[in-house]
Amino acid sequence: MLKMENIAKVYRTDVVETHALKEFSLEVNEGDFVAVTGPSGSGKTTFLNIAGLLETYSAGRYFLDGNDVSGISDAARSRVRNEKIGFIFQGFNLIPDLSLFDNVDVPLRYRGFSSKERKQRIEQSLDTVGLSNRMRHLPAQLSGGQQQRVAIARALAGSPRFLLADEPTGNLDSKMANSVMTLLQEINQQGTTIVMVTHDPGLAAQAKRNIHVRDGQVSELHEVNTEHTRDVVNG
Amino acid sequence: MNASLELGPIFRTLLRNKMGALLIALQIAVTMTIVVNAIFIIDEREALMARVSGVDEADSFYVNSNGFASDFDNPNTIQEDLRQIRALPSVRNVTTINAIPISGGGWSMSLQTEAGEGKDDVATAVYMVDHHGLEALDVQLLAGQNFTEQELRYRDGSEEGWPQNIIITQALANDLFPDTAIDEVIGKTTYINNDEPMQIIGVIDALQAPWIGWEQLENTMLSPEYFAFNNSTTYFVRAQDGMRDQAMRAVEEYLAQRANERLVRGMESFENVRNESYGFHAAMIKILTIVMATLVLITGMGIVGLASFNVNKRKKQIGTRRALGATQWQIVRYFMLENFMITSIGVLTGAALSIGLNILLVNFFELNRISWYYIPIGMLCLWVLGQLAVLGPAKKAANIPPAMATRTV
Ligand SMILES: Nc1ncnc2c1ncn2[C@@H]1O[C@H](COP(=O)(O)OP(=O)(O)O)[C@@H](O)[C@H]1O
Ligand SMILES: [Mg+2]
Repeated sequence: MLKMENIAKVYRTDVVETHALKEFSLEVNEGDFVAVTGPSGSGKTTFLNIAGLLETYSAGRYFLDGNDVSGISDAARSRVRNEKIGFIFQGFNLIPDLSLFDNVDVPLRYRGFSSKERKQRIEQSLDTVGLSNRMRHLPAQLSGGQQQRVAIARALAGSPRFLLADEPTGNLDSKMANSVMTLLQEINQQGTTIVMVTHDPGLAAQAKRNIHVRDGQVSELHEVNTEHTRDVVNG
Repeated sequence: MNASLELGPIFRTLLRNKMGALLIALQIAVTMTIVVNAIFIIDEREALMARVSGVDEADSFYVNSNGFASDFDNPNTIQEDLRQIRALPSVRNVTTINAIPISGGGWSMSLQTEAGEGKDDVATAVYMVDHHGLEALDVQLLAGQNFTEQELRYRDGSEEGWPQNIIITQALANDLFPDTAIDEVIGKTTYINNDEPMQIIGVIDALQAPWIGWEQLENTMLSPEYFAFNNSTTYFVRAQDGMRDQAMRAVEEYLAQRANERLVRGMESFENVRNESYGFHAAMIKILTIVMATLVLITGMGIVGLASFNVNKRKKQIGTRRALGATQWQIVRYFMLENFMITSIGVLTGAALSIGLNILLVNFFELNRISWYYIPIGMLCLWVLGQLAVLGPAKKAANIPPAMATRTV
């Protein structure tokens, strides 16, 4: 599904060179739910941005769905993001002037779906996150947990194969965080591959797989509860 | 790709942020109103200025000789002057004249086709010229004939009545004898001062009256007279092609020879006459052009300002849109569409205001009614202005990296 080989990312400013990622290698399989932990500044967001084609990398190779995405144009990267990837951000990143309906509609319009199909997808994904009765509301009228649910609905509406979440619960209290986590687990069980950065070891423990990033490298790989989760799913 | 245009979301976003957009729309409306009316006025003025006087403007000038010596023999002086000036190599021809076309000062009379008081009459300017007048004024005979030297008379103010023969412009002929072929006008009689008959012996193409604001500007008659009230004579000189300045110097030099008997003054090129007469129009055009340019510039900057403000305010949103799959072009298009909507409100208001302002100008300043097509052209221009102005900020927006979505909280 996702395969990174010796990815390096260097940020250059006039003063310093930051090696945000170095020899970063990782493989994520279809259907996985990977939790990424690591200290602040270790390169988690950088990894997620590269995985989601938000940023390019300085060296190494990256295969998404078996395709090398190194040299593709900006427009092609936009299309891949739009079709294959769903993003969930720590700050929700909803558009404040748009209703929930219009917010979820944003990526669907870029996709070029017919208005009928968009409407159906919007209603369905808002239903999935339990907010179908508030489609005409503005984001500001919702709690943080609800806003993040809208963001998840927006990420899901285009049926992406791949969901990337950067500290999706970072701005939420633990109750809301848990409900968002449960929602992500449900989504994962429907077959969507998820990579989630989190600070919370408790949440990380609920993922199928944990990786730890330190100094721009995958320092520790351990599979948590894998057997158990698989048992639960299979059982 | 069949990409949906986001018209609905853009419009709803605008509705939630009305103030800035409405101010710009208003600015666009006012700009359009003033630009449309200004261009209409400029076009009208330019049309006025483009009317041909009939004279060879580039090569012509005039000068006045005023004899002050007690024994000044003006009739003979005129003959001598005309002969000498005509002989100058730089001069093509010369005539005495009582008034200068489009200069602002001259004579007008009324002509009628039936003798008697209270009959319909037609106003015309009068130029008293000699038998070289046609060439000096650069007018062409369309029918009939020129004056002969024998019929010319000297007019110093003591004479009664009018000469027997006159030449008139085609425009005057049409006014006097509507629907009559020019050839048939020749030989007809018209009456001046109610009942003094004059015969039309020639019709010329075009020669304008002295007053550019006069409705009968094209109505002109030529009368075969050496005009010289109080020993004052004006010579209208047409130089050889391109030799006006030499001719002016040569004529001045010649006339100065008898400086102890006469005053030579007021030498002025025809170019100058036109510039002075149309100076107000030219100044008006200049002022309106400056006003328009300033307004367009300010409005353009206002659009750039609002769009830049919006781009900066929406940096994170734009990054998010990019992360969600917007191409750079889709970002550019967003701002262009947003601008198009704002501008549309502006130009629709502007269309109404333009007509309103024109109605005011028609009522209070006696301007003409604006031609309808100025409105759509004005709208189009402001639409284009808006799109051009928004292009820079829109491109800036498109260059906001998708990572902006994750890099700022
Ligand atoms: N745009 C950037 N320019 C320069 N340095 C950056 C930029 N983005 C991130 N970095 C640096 O790269 C390193 C990794 O950052 P990041 O991936 O955001 O870490 P994390 O998400 O794990 O906290 C940090 O040292 C950070 O300061
Ligand atoms: Mg981070």
